[in-house]
Formats: sequence, structure tokens, C-alpha cells
Amino acid sequence: MTMRFPLFSCGVFAFLLTACAGTIDRRIDPDENDPVGGAVLQSQDIRTMADRMARDIASSGVLTSAPRGERVSFHITSLRNDSGDPIDKEIILTKIRTELQRALGRGVQVLDRSAEGLEAVQQERAAKRNGSVAGRESARGNVAGSDYALKGTIKSRVQQSGGLKSVYYLVTFELTDLETTEIAWSGDYETKFESEKSVISR
Amino acid sequence: MIADFARQKITDGDAENLALVLNVLAQCELMRGRTEDARKYFGEAGAIMGNWQTSGGEAFSAIVGSESSKTWKGDPYEKAMNAFYLGLTYLWRGEPDNARAAFKKGILADAEVADEKYQADNALLFWLAGRMSLLMGLRDDAADFFAEADKANAFALDHGARGDRGNPVLVGRDGGNLVVLVECGMGPEKYAAGGQEELARFRPRWHPAARARVWLDGRAVGETSLLCDVDYQARTLGGTEMEGIRKGKAVFKTATTVAGAVLLHQAMKDHGDSARTQAIVGGGLLLLGLLTSTEADVRHWPTLPASVQALTVDAAPGSHRLRIQFLEASGRALPDLDQTWSVTVPERGESYYLFRSLPGLDRFPKANP
Repeated sequence: MTMRFPLFSCGVFAFLLTACAGTIDRRIDPDENDPVGGAVLQSQDIRTMADRMARDIASSGVLTSAPRGERVSFHITSLRNDSGDPIDKEIILTKIRTELQRALGRGVQVLDRSAEGLEAVQQERAAKRNGSVAGRESARGNVAGSDYALKGTIKSRVQQSGGLKSVYYLVTFELTDLETTEIAWSGDYETKFESEKSVISR
Repeated sequence: MIADFARQKITDGDAENLALVLNVLAQCELMRGRTEDARKYFGEAGAIMGNWQTSGGEAFSAIVGSESSKTWKGDPYEKAMNAFYLGLTYLWRGEPDNARAAFKKGILADAEVADEKYQADNALLFWLAGRMSLLMGLRDDAADFFAEADKANAFALDHGARGDRGNPVLVGRDGGNLVVLVECGMGPEKYAAGGQEELARFRPRWHPAARARVWLDGRAVGETSLLCDVDYQARTLGGTEMEGIRKGKAVFKTATTVAGAVLLHQAMKDHGDSARTQAIVGGGLLLLGLLTSTEADVRHWPTLPASVQALTVDAAPGSHRLRIQFLEASGRALPDLDQTWSVTVPERGESYYLFRSLPGLDRFPKANP
């Protein structure tokens, strides 16, 4: 009996220690698996996808094929979500644009064709032209036209049976020649998730 | 008041109820016309509800202890309703593709019900996914979704759901440029039944509003048609594996309690070591029985409607005065619930409005996708 009491006490103490353990917020690597889970595109997918697409486009040479002294221009049009999960498309497009600019530098012209971007340009140009604000004469010019447009689609295939589910994502990007409609480059990113439902949720 | 309560619960409430609280808060924001806030909250709730990951500790606690200690992820009909609201908020944001993604997510959530035959019977989500496909220019996809909506409606009606055969909204498919969505009544209540309260069951809640008549610029343009009977969706969930576990726990609780009581009774009659052993074991069993929680988890989304209905109207572009007149099942008008709104129909595209059969509501935002 005397031996059992310390053992029991230790057990209870260990249990209380575990139960009273505090929670913490900590920084984690965005390339790691998300500990929260969820069979959806995660930070590591977005980073890998953007990095891969930017490298692939850069190495294809499509955007660096302009004659000496000229620069190829392009803009990102849209990302259509055909999948079964809503997603913030801006986060993907912004990341890709950043990676592309990083990979291509000033060798290409990346144009802002967003509604807000165009409106800001129009307002500023008008203000400069009518003398409301100062502007450099040498910086005057036409709004740049685009040689290529980059667009993408997110598709998914979900299979579900009982307590098992798998989700396959296919994100495809295409670079379209805006003179000829030729698809000058395409690339994709694939990932697949498997989930098993706990008995308490079934 | 409900929104303030929900906000407080998000800060200091139980983490396992977060998705439930977020959904209620999102509905409040929707009613106040704050669709972006509503989208954020519905999105956060949906992420929790759609996440299948469960820790071993959580599963152990829910099985051995109280089931309501687990993270609330909602029943399939609740996941489908979260997807419905989330889709609408994306539509109002001008993103029909993300709206369609949400409706597809809801269709998939509806397929999580245990009884396979009820796995694709939410006509509302199929119909909305069809309309979103059209907005995206995907006519073939739209046709497929509309066909599924017809099948879902016919199936649901055959199996006891409220609604109309030859539902004019489903027949009209892509008709109308003003889409009036109406939520009628109060959604089902989940309660515990059985001797040990181990069974989770649903019962409808009474509300006078059964459907709505829509008036545009003083002219009656029709009555809404039921596309989703939420009561029916809840009661056709089918059994769950947890229900089997709770039944087992109920048997265990009964057996240990009875055995414990018998042993204690026997101990009182006996003497010496035998009586002491019987008292210890009997007391232990009794305690184990009393500590075994068999109650079903009856947490549910209490602010859902009993049904979602729709009417599509061909209206001239511009501003209109829209009146929603809620009706009892007998057809008698409910003047206390009358709502008059100013709505706008765009030159191109469609407008979607959502109304709820509650008194004193303000106007919902418009959408011009």
C-alpha cells in the first residue's frame, strides 16, 4: 500500500502537469506541412507553385526573346477557380508576380492591368497633364501595351467514400501571345491530399 | 445583441465551439449588410467544419468522456448551409467562381450523410452552382448542375421534403435577372433522446412563415418556391458511428451502475473481508457508471432557417421597390414580417438578394456579378 501511493501520486501529478500545460504561438516555416490540417492548398503549395512557375517561365525564354534594346511586356489576367474550395486568388497571383519579377528583373515589363491600377494611372496622368501635380517631362509616354497575358485555372477532383476522402488539385498557368493567340508557354502544379475522418465525426 | 454575445464568445468562449459561434456571428453581419465581414466569418467557420483532422486526445476525450468536448464541425446539413452563405458572399464580391466553389463544397458536404440514398438531395446548391457556371460562361457545366438540381428536388420530394413538383425556379433554370432568395422559419432543434439521452434527434421548430409573395413596384410577381427543406436535410442524416458508441456507453453505464448497487447491497448483508471487497468493487463500479457520460452532443446551429426558397424575376434594369410578404401555410399574410426594400437590377448580369422571415430587418446588399 505504501508503494502504491507514491506511484498513484506521480500519475496524478503527471496528468495535472499535462492538463495545465500552457499554449503558445510560434513561428513556423511556411514550407512545412500545416499542423492545422485541412485538405486544401496551403502555404507550401502556393510558395512551391509560384517559385516553380516563375523559374519555368524564365527558363523558357519566351519573355526574354525581345530584340536588343526592347523589352517584352506581360500582365497577369486572372485565375479561375474551378475547384470545390473557395480560395483567395490574389494571394497566388501576387506571389507569382513577385517571383517572376525576381526571376526576370528589369529584363521584362510587368504591367499592372488591375482595375485599381488603371484607375490610379489615369488619375495621376490627368493630374500631371493639367498641371495639378508636377511631373517629369522625360517620363511622359503612352500606357504600355501587353505582349503576353498570364492566366490560370485551379481544378480539383474529390473522391469520398465513408470516412476516407482524397482531393487532387491541378493548377495550370498559360502564357498567351496577345498578337497571335498562341499559347507560348504552359505549366502546372499538382498536389493531392488524403483525409480520414475520425470516428467521433462519423 | 446576439453579435456582441458571439464576439465575446470568440474571445473567451470554449475553443471547441468556435465554428458554431462564427457561423452565428456571420449571419448577424449578413443581416446588417456587412457582407465582407460575413464572408470572413463564414470562411473561418467553414475551414474548421471542413477539416477532418482530429487529434488522438480529442477523440479519446469524446469517446471516454463527454461527446460535446470535441470540436464542433456541424452535421452535413449545417456544413451545406455554411457553404450556401459563403457562396452568396463570394457572389456579392463579384467572384462567381469562388461562389461556385463554395456551393460545390456544400454539395460534397451534403454527401457526407451516413444514409447513402440521401447523399445528393440539396436542389438549392445544385441550382446555384448551375447559375454560377453560367456567370462564368460554362454552359455545359451549368446544364449538368441544373439536371442534378431537378433530380435532387424530385428525390427530396419523394422522401418527405416540403416543396413543389415542377418547381418553377428549377424549370426556369437560368431565367430572371433578379433572384430573390428567402429564408423562412426557424431551423430544426437537436435534442437528446433515449433512456440515457444517448440518441441525437431533430425536431422542427414552429414558425408562422411558410413561404413568401413577392411584389415589384406594387405588382405581385409570384410566390417563392422551396429549394431546400432544412428540417428534411437534418432528419435524413442517418445514424452515426458515434451513436453506436454512445449506445454502448449507455449499456456499460447501466450495467456498472446496477452491478455496483447489487454489490454494495450484498456488502451490507455480508461481514468481514468479503463484505469489504464487495463494498470496494461495488463502490468503484457505481462511480465508474456515474462518471460515464452517455449524453449525445446536441450542439447545433440554432439560427438557421427551416427552408430556403427562391423566386426569379425578369425586371427592367434600374431601381425597383421590392416587397416581401410572408405567408402562413394557409396563405394568410403575416403583416408583422412584411419587408419593403429598394433593389437595383444591373444593365447586364443579375442581382441576388437574401431575405429572412424576421421582423424589423434592414436591406441586404445587392450583387451585380
